[in-house]
Amino acid sequence: MSELLAVEGIAKSFKLKGHWYHKKEFSALAPLSFSVESNKTLAIVGETGSGKSTLAKILVGAESPSSGKIFLNGQQLHKQQLKQRCQHIRMIFQDSGTTLNPSLTVLQLLDEPLKLNTNLNESQRRQLIRQTLQKVGLLGDHMNFYPHMFSGGQKQRISLARAIILQPQVIILDEALAALDPSLRSQMINLLLDLQQQMGLAYILISHNLGIVRHFSDQVMVMCQGEVVERGDTLEVMQNPTHKVTKKLMMSQNFQLKHHKHKCM
Amino acid sequence: MNLLDIRNLSIELETTNQNILAVDRVSLSMKEGEVRGLVGESGSGKSLLAQAIIGVLEDKWHVHADRFHWRGIDLLRLDIEERKNILCRDIAMIFQEPMASLDPTTTIGEQLAEAIDSKQLSGFFWQKQQQRKEAVIRLLHKVGIKKHIQCMKSYPHQLTEAICQRVMIAIALASRPVLLIADEPTAAMESTNQGQIFRLLASLNQLKNMSILLISHDLENITHWTNTITVMYSGQFVEAGTTEQIFNKPLHPYTKALVDSSPKANLQLPSKSRLMTLPGSIPILQHLPIGCRLGPRCPRAQRACVEAPKVQNFHGHKVSCHFSLKDTY
Repeated sequence: MSELLAVEGIAKSFKLKGHWYHKKEFSALAPLSFSVESNKTLAIVGETGSGKSTLAKILVGAESPSSGKIFLNGQQLHKQQLKQRCQHIRMIFQDSGTTLNPSLTVLQLLDEPLKLNTNLNESQRRQLIRQTLQKVGLLGDHMNFYPHMFSGGQKQRISLARAIILQPQVIILDEALAALDPSLRSQMINLLLDLQQQMGLAYILISHNLGIVRHFSDQVMVMCQGEVVERGDTLEVMQNPTHKVTKKLMMSQNFQLKHHKHKCM
Repeated sequence: MNLLDIRNLSIELETTNQNILAVDRVSLSMKEGEVRGLVGESGSGKSLLAQAIIGVLEDKWHVHADRFHWRGIDLLRLDIEERKNILCRDIAMIFQEPMASLDPTTTIGEQLAEAIDSKQLSGFFWQKQQQRKEAVIRLLHKVGIKKHIQCMKSYPHQLTEAICQRVMIAIALASRPVLLIADEPTAAMESTNQGQIFRLLASLNQLKNMSILLISHDLENITHWTNTITVMYSGQFVEAGTTEQIFNKPLHPYTKALVDSSPKANLQLPSKSRLMTLPGSIPILQHLPIGCRLGPRCPRAQRACVEAPKVQNFHGHKVSCHFSLKDTY
């Protein structure tokens, strides 16, 4: 299968305030390369400050990398072509409550990306919004509601609808499942997996819940201080972790896993 | 003897239209030296219950209970002053967001010194000042902060969240409580830091024989640390029992769904398979269903569920359901 998204030598460094003759640089992301195929999920795990959110922002185009190239379907994505990028790579944020504009209805929220990126007329847009809302498990009539009228899980579904309405190929989930209640979280995981099968989406999942990472992802990348310290198939990495950062992460959650396993037997 | 014994506690919210029963006849009992988990999703009234126990609810919330005993003393019969004295002496609470609960304008050292009761000190005022400082340093060491000089000088924003939570625990320990109520102590924390905080609480439980009421929205996070668990849903009591009972033989359909939906607990499931879920979402406070509030989402619901079920007790494993899963095991 061909690579959908390929990243080559992406790096990011920030200039720190310093005296003019010894300027300091802080490297948030060491040069790293990886690729994702369609229908697959790449998970990125790591502690705070390991550069995983910076990587997500670079991929989606909110920040520009200091060096490196991003290829989508073999074509290089340039800084200037934001329009192309925001059609194909979409992002869902952690807190859906604060990322939806409270003064717009759901219709207006979902209309905005369509107006900016497609040539559909009004009735076609409305049709598409209705279909998308049904796809994420809401009703078409919900389009006239304001975000505050929905519960937390439904808000997360609206942000998912906003992400898939342009038929993207890659969706980045930046801790999108962390703030949800357990019963809604499993609904959301099921929905995401269904959509992956239907639309052939590739997900990049940023999470620190290893249980979800194990269930959800095919490949995993462990990051520490801007560098990738371990990568591979999720199950292999979890069964025999080699780097000490991975082991530490596993330890902090894994002895709980073993505990359950022991009990189940 | 039970440390805390609450029977049929209800909390009512007074609004302009009608009164809303936010917590509906919940029972909770704690033994000495026990770690009890209180699990419920958002809107289940678990934080309300904790606030009702330490008595910090506003006037618009009305609390009723059939029994509210603390070490054999009926707290409902005491007047407010006496009750406050007992609760201040024996119960301490730590809150969800340590950064937001600490005073941002004073240093950690001053905040800790303020929390120490002057009854613990003796002598003249200059001796007391010295003792107070020593007590602060001892408290910081107790919660595992080694650089006490640096920590005492700094303001809350200069410390990380895990250190702030440790300081919160130190403030709670200052009055040497018998019961510590921890309301989501690790919300929005890294998993490595979460482990540290839980280990600290566990060691306090073991060394000081301190009872802990651990409140969390996630069943899978706390099962490693608790002896017994009480589950709540939407303000109603669901199930209570030992951790093993709850996890291996859940009797209530809701608890079963919680256990089944956790990807961490079901490692034998092939990856990318569908997880068990309950349909629908959590009802909001204004539109609570009558009877058993799980009713509309429950896979086993029948006509009898429009009436709230009575609590059944199977060898200390309490469940509140008309059609419990007892027969299926």
